[in-house]
Amino acid sequence: MGRYFLFLLAVAVGLGLGLLYGWVLSPVEFVDTSPDILRVDYKADYALMVAEAYAQEGDTVSALRRLAQLGVENPASFLAEMIDFAEGVGYTAYDLALMQQLAEALESWNPALDAQSP
Amino acid sequence: MNQRRGFPLYLLTGLVIGLAVGLLVAWVIAPVELVDVPPSTLAESFKSEYRALIASAYVANGDLGRAEARLALLGDPNPSRALAAQAQLTLAQGGSEELARALGLLSAVLAGELEPTQGPQPTASLTPSPQETENNPSDAEPTSTSAPTQTSTPTVTATLGTSAQPSRTPTATQGAAFQLQGIEKVCDPLLDPPLIQVYVEDAARNPVPGVEGIVSWEGDEDHFFTGLKPEYGLGYADFSMTPGVIYLLRLVEGAESVTGLTPENCTGENQPDFWGSWQVTFVQP
Repeated sequence: MGRYFLFLLAVAVGLGLGLLYGWVLSPVEFVDTSPDILRVDYKADYALMVAEAYAQEGDTVSALRRLAQLGVENPASFLAEMIDFAEGVGYTAYDLALMQQLAEALESWNPALDAQSP
Repeated sequence: MNQRRGFPLYLLTGLVIGLAVGLLVAWVIAPVELVDVPPSTLAESFKSEYRALIASAYVANGDLGRAEARLALLGDPNPSRALAAQAQLTLAQGGSEELARALGLLSAVLAGELEPTQGPQPTASLTPSPQETENNPSDAEPTSTSAPTQTSTPTVTATLGTSAQPSRTPTATQGAAFQLQGIEKVCDPLLDPPLIQVYVEDAARNPVPGVEGIVSWEGDEDHFFTGLKPEYGLGYADFSMTPGVIYLLRLVEGAESVTGLTPENCTGENQPDFWGSWQVTFVQP
């Protein structure tokens, strides 16, 4: 009985050491990540960059393509979330207005109209 | 009678089994899940997209400090060189010339030899805010959480740079069309393949980046922009020639064309003959 207990104890200690090593001391290294796991403040700044470029270019399709890099399914609602976040952390009114301008463009965007344009 | 001494074998076996299972769980079954990563960990293709967006945003807002802060997030050892390389790659792959120009201009400005000039203004319907926010995006390491438990960390957030500053974007000097100042044959065996080296200067003899040129030959043509190789000067661009082909060179904003450019023979001392290059200089009057 004592041997079984000590054996299981040794397994448990080994398991603990293995997890400690694998999760803490030498975890799997992640490289070549994708933008969808960027931290939220980086995502917000990315959205702001898209909005800045949109204000200059006026190209909704290009803005959508850029936002798609973040892996968002609904760009309009994503942008609304980012605007909320940006308001909360004190983005300037001008930056917020740029993002709002893009959000409005996305909400009113009609793919069919874009497809007809040359 | 034999007596066993030392560490009991069954304990060692248990320890090894436990260790193996632990590593299997930690590295394979439930590895550390990475969330909240910074842009520096992105795959190169996404970094290129990010860099391009930074350049496009810079052209729109003219805020160099903001662009520099954003580029720093990518962790490029030399952001200016990375931008220039991407601009060349964009052109070589037949990508957007507008994007290549944006990348090249930001690269040239970061090279530190160009004073930004007045650029495009923000959309008139937007009201710039006098508020200025600190530029301190956190560079904290990504949060590692062991599945299934996720540890939430406080998110450090900040807006980047200021937005109420006037937009300043480097652009080619506005004014009279560039005129041909000189053509010079260059015999340098290191220039292989032979090049058409173009130098563009403004009226004050300062190099001008972002000037578009066109090289045409035998029913084909190629476009280039100055400033994409800042290490050779902001007003510099080059084009590789093929011996036996005659090229015509002109600037989009130029008043005249240069015809008959083709590699000519150069005779070197104590070395075989080689093809020479051409150095063509355009200046704004």
